Amino acid sequence: MASVSLSEAEKVYIVHGVQEDLRVDGRGCEDYRCVEVETDVVSNTSGSARVKLGHTDILVGVKAEMGTPKLEKPNEGYLEFFVDCSANATPEFEGRGGDDLGTEIANTLYRIFNNKSSIDLRSLCISPQEHCWVLYVDVLLLECGGNLFDAISIAVKAALFNTRIPRVRVLEDEEGSKDIELSDDPYDCMRLSVDNVPCIVTLCKIGCRHVVDATLQEEACSLASLLVSVTSRGVVTCLRKVGKGSLDPESIFEMMESSKRVGKVLHMSLQSVLHKEESLGPKRPKVGFLG
Amino acid sequence: MPGDHRRIRGPEESQPPQLYAADEDETPAARDPTRLRPVYARAGLLSQAKGSAYLEAGGTKVLCAVSGPRQAEGGERGGGPAGAGGEAPAALRGRLLCDFRRAPFSGRRRRAPQGGGEERELGLALQEALEPAVRLGRYPRAQLEVSALLLEDGGSALAAALTAAALALADAGVEMYDLVVGCGLSLTPGPSPTWLLDPTRLEEEHSAAGLTVALMPVLNQVAGLLGSGEGGQTESWTDAVRLGLEGCQRLYPVLQQCLVRAARRRSAAAPS
Repeated sequence: MASVSLSEAEKVYIVHGVQEDLRVDGRGCEDYRCVEVETDVVSNTSGSARVKLGHTDILVGVKAEMGTPKLEKPNEGYLEFFVDCSANATPEFEGRGGDDLGTEIANTLYRIFNNKSSIDLRSLCISPQEHCWVLYVDVLLLECGGNLFDAISIAVKAALFNTRIPRVRVLEDEEGSKDIELSDDPYDCMRLSVDNVPCIVTLCKIGCRHVVDATLQEEACSLASLLVSVTSRGVVTCLRKVGKGSLDPESIFEMMESSKRVGKVLHMSLQSVLHKEESLGPKRPKVGFLG
Repeated sequence: MPGDHRRIRGPEESQPPQLYAADEDETPAARDPTRLRPVYARAGLLSQAKGSAYLEAGGTKVLCAVSGPRQAEGGERGGGPAGAGGEAPAALRGRLLCDFRRAPFSGRRRRAPQGGGEERELGLALQEALEPAVRLGRYPRAQLEVSALLLEDGGSALAAALTAAALALADAGVEMYDLVVGCGLSLTPGPSPTWLLDPTRLEEEHSAAGLTVALMPVLNQVAGLLGSGEGGQTESWTDAVRLGLEGCQRLYPVLQQCLVRAARRRSAAAPS
């Protein structure tokens, strides 16, 4: 994670402010910064999304390719995650420096999608044991401004919502050999249902209270955080403690209650923004990277 | 003798025969959800490591070794900000490097020794759970290496590795605030899901969700938490964490006795 130098006085200022439910930029403890979400930004992908959360900038591209299903699950497709921490984000990521953080984030993404209900993997199957759709979700970290996990999970959800998988038909001839036919119409696509895709809510423990969506400075004051991955219905799919410090059991229970509340609001606003953007159709104003 | 790949044209990959066997309907038997399997723990068994521990719980066997403190690699980094609470600045603090490995014969299918993603994730989980307990400020510019080797996976492997690692650190004489005790849980699938404490491998395979909790028993602080799966609502996970913490507290006396015995053995063996 990018490091930031803070003096003792600044740390004390942040900690005391959080005790009073007032953070440095004026937010309350459970408020997110302003989030900008834009989908369909990269034309060569099956689906893409860009999320800007304060100073954190994430770009996700989803490419759907045909592959063979895994042996244990012959009727399902699967997702592969790759996270690239680019050197633009912070000089520490130059060369192999960002690899550790990238693998940690990718492993967390695998964990939150590791259950039957997040994504309907059966709809990704073309013919059992032979062909299936593999969704390669590639996350690019453009700028690191604190709270990476939340921003990445929002971007992944938006990109999956935007993913259009072409419809294929399997034709069998008399000899039994199968041929895959792609439909001629480029707009004849299958969409994925993202109702149950979870979003990560990171709660950082600062002093005796916890904050949602911490900036880099606030992360430097917190010794331990709890990462909760929650769906729009309040189902928790992943729970993880991050950081060098330890947490009190009571604060863990409080944090989980908060994460449920915050998660519901986050999902509702994300759904409404995605549907609104979709309804504007191809004529919507594109913001792109310099807006 | 290594296989001659140019002449022996076998398949590229090999599979265990169980994959092609008829589906066995082995469902785990119903049992008391709060039962803990009996644990055998022994510290101070490896001669080459500074500290070591072996833990056996049911079918799970873990061996852990600690070496160090030795000089930290990575060169000098500029003096960072002081940690909260006035400890040594970040660049001077010691480092804990944890490595979790599965033996290739530990599970049902043979795993290549370079496990990759999952082992790095579990190594990171070990590090995050042990860091709150170790007084790294007392080992400036040094690193402690903890390596856990899973010999057989009989369920709750990460929890056993955590406990063994903490015992090994204590056996090595590393300064710690408290021991770290780990406990595994799994959720039974179906209409009435219940959380089971200390699941066996069969129960883990048939589970809908799994959770590992690490507790520092005397300070009553949760040092580590890692869970995933379809666990249901937050209340269900809260119950699971409570059950796990209770399990950790019950396990603590066994570990205390193990360390006392190891200390006695060491003082008896030392030349007077």
